[in-house]
Amino acid sequence: MWQYRPLTWFLLYLLGILIQTALLPQIFPIGYVPNVVVSVTVLIALYESPSRGMLAGLMGGLMQDVWAGRMIGLNAVTFALLGWGIGYLQSKIVRDPVFVPGLVAGMSQVLVVPFQWVLLLLAGYHFAWLSFVKPLPVWILFSMFFTPGLGGVLGFRSRRELEAGFSAMG
Amino acid sequence: MGGFFYRWRRPLITILAVMVLAVSLSYTAHVRGRVVELSNLVGTIVSPASSSLAFIGHQAGVGISTVGQLFTLQAQNRELKQKLLLYNSMKLELSEVLAANGRLRGMLGLQQTLSNWKLIPAGIIARNPDNWFSTLVIDRGSDNGIKPGMSVIVPQGVVGRIIAVSSTSSTVMLILDPNSGVGAMDTRSQAAGVLLGQDPITGMLKFQLFSHRPDILPGDAVVTSGFSQYYPKGLLLGQVISVSRVQFGLTEVAMVQPSVDFNRLQSVMVVLSHPQGTSAPPIFGGGNS
Repeated sequence: MWQYRPLTWFLLYLLGILIQTALLPQIFPIGYVPNVVVSVTVLIALYESPSRGMLAGLMGGLMQDVWAGRMIGLNAVTFALLGWGIGYLQSKIVRDPVFVPGLVAGMSQVLVVPFQWVLLLLAGYHFAWLSFVKPLPVWILFSMFFTPGLGGVLGFRSRRELEAGFSAMG
Repeated sequence: MGGFFYRWRRPLITILAVMVLAVSLSYTAHVRGRVVELSNLVGTIVSPASSSLAFIGHQAGVGISTVGQLFTLQAQNRELKQKLLLYNSMKLELSEVLAANGRLRGMLGLQQTLSNWKLIPAGIIARNPDNWFSTLVIDRGSDNGIKPGMSVIVPQGVVGRIIAVSSTSSTVMLILDPNSGVGAMDTRSQAAGVLLGQDPITGMLKFQLFSHRPDILPGDAVVTSGFSQYYPKGLLLGQVISVSRVQFGLTEVAMVQPSVDFNRLQSVMVVLSHPQGTSAPPIFGGGNS
């Protein structure tokens, strides 16, 4: 199905980053713009194996890094690990279309910020930690609503559901 | 006998009725007042019923006409709603035009003030895709003569400088960015220093002063010093909010409120060239950019 194709991921990330850079800054003030790439990565990885989840995360993160043109690898590493983690997690949990994607996306926002903060610290950037605590609730809430919403619009389904659907039709 | 009456009953009844009517007419012509009284009496007796019926009839008429008007009202309501929508959109459009007008007036004022400078207007098309750095993308690139290092300004002050250029767009590093450093000085005391990026907690710019005991006070205006290779001298950066001593009391740091509202930026001016040795007068206020 189309949702499992890397070309689809690429198009989704492209659209996500466009929304994040051109549309959301009109709504959210500087420093509060939510990360749409997190939501797209969560959504893709929730229906993938850990390795494919990692591949998707790497693609999204790399695209974001290239787009930003500042530290290539910062988002690529973060989202590759996030994709792997969610791909691993999805095999252990019962997945529903609303609650689980929302919760996982919200938790991912909580994990991504300190992880990137450490990476930036290693790269020589001393950002004040408290500054990211302020926008974090906005990002968490946005991800918790946006991710299930996007999943609902795209109609993502697991491979098992798709196979069952096809066999029932046949 | 009975057969006679039965046989001529219809003409007889007719003649009788005509006679009764003739007598009645003749009689009532003379006793008119009593007839009126009789009429009044009848009217009094039947008036509750007549008024009730009249009321019901009136209400029924009103109801019927209301039902009839309902369709007209519906059409009118639809038309008025459309008009209201039109007026609302016109109002919105007007406020947008007013804002754009203010912005363009500010830009025009800036161009007139810096008449011997070569400026090019540009619109903002995107922001940076993460929250760690502060950049934005403008819709002018190398095709329009833009090169890395050029400063970007608005009537309210300095926005940042160009760090990357493509043929049709350019990336601007804002003075809020952690990598940004602008040579700055206090307009009152001429105390010089470097204006570093935004402090993430306070949202203010950090003004690291060079001298040991600089004369700098809250409320002072901070402008570009012209010492850096990127920014011309005299462009407004912000206003000093507080001054504190740091690093074991050796140097002083001032917190500066940026003069530009970066959340409301829509268009900017790129300084393509400016006469060497000239400085821009600091400009306060102006239209929203």
